Amino acid sequence: MKAQLKTVLMIFVVLLFAAGCTTHKSYVVLMENADGTTGKLAVTGAGGEVVLEKPRTAADLDGRAGAPFAVAEDVLKRDFGPALAAQPPLPESFLLYYKTGGTVLTEESRALIPAVLEATGKHPAPDVSVIGHTDTIGDSAANEKLALQRAQAVAEIIQRAGLQVHDLTVTSHGEKNLLIPTPDNTDEPRNRRVEVTVR
Amino acid sequence: MGRWLTAFVLILAFASVGQAGETIGFVKTVTGSALVIDSGKAIPAKVGTPVKMGNTLRTGSGGSLGVTFKDNTVMSFGPDTELTVDEYFYTPGADKLKFSSSMSRGTLQVVSGVIAKLKPKAVTVKTPSAMIGCRGTRFLVKVDP
Repeated sequence: MKAQLKTVLMIFVVLLFAAGCTTHKSYVVLMENADGTTGKLAVTGAGGEVVLEKPRTAADLDGRAGAPFAVAEDVLKRDFGPALAAQPPLPESFLLYYKTGGTVLTEESRALIPAVLEATGKHPAPDVSVIGHTDTIGDSAANEKLALQRAQAVAEIIQRAGLQVHDLTVTSHGEKNLLIPTPDNTDEPRNRRVEVTVR
Repeated sequence: MGRWLTAFVLILAFASVGQAGETIGFVKTVTGSALVIDSGKAIPAKVGTPVKMGNTLRTGSGGSLGVTFKDNTVMSFGPDTELTVDEYFYTPGADKLKFSSSMSRGTLQVVSGVIAKLKPKAVTVKTPSAMIGCRGTRFLVKVDP
């Protein structure tokens, strides 16, 4: 009799747990990036803030700031299968470098151009951006102009090489998007680059 | 002459990405029914359809949609989903970085891009009862109103 009661109680607990699992109507799940790293999410509502830091943990979007919970693989598939399947190919970036003090690309960078052209074939309606970057030597306005000139020169080179795209934009991030973080007025050759991204 | 041309090109380059009417991304994948709604005008989404700030992206039942934005943020939508791009500013040179959107229903995957990398908390998705702030990551959102 006692054992029977225990069984009934256990079934009750399992049912309660199962019911709990299905009450997440609106929620957000933190996922790992393609490179294996994971960032963070902050979920804010009337009840306060919840921070998600572990991959595959989730928070309700009811505004109550309840505790994070784990989401099983089959639930992710059920809820997000079509959204995951609709993901376009991730953008691919190529970093090109000039020989010191000029507008001639290094040998290694010139060798990357066929790879840029090939990448456009793998993206639907490929759009390409060419972004110039400098290091932090000199003032930021001058760096923005300099980076733009470098980007324009690269855009011409890849167009001459036969680039066929849906859209091409040439812009400058000056010294505001460093590859290698440095303080101001720091000579860093790796930051003086032109970034070609195929989307 | 050369100087004028340079000046003109610079003006073009400094014009910030994110002003009304400017393309901020392109549709890359579509299945079933999906719309890009621009100032109240619904355009059936096709591969290559431009997306602008203020646009609403909507999928029907059985539809899905994938959009890649200029800062490399990749969003993909499951069926019966609606999201509006409220603000999109991608001009790191001028320290203007923001990507805020509102999602009223459906399912969404976000792979964050350069905006989230350069400015933590600049990428947000508002849902009916909560706000999601993203610091450089991939995430999934389900809104069942």
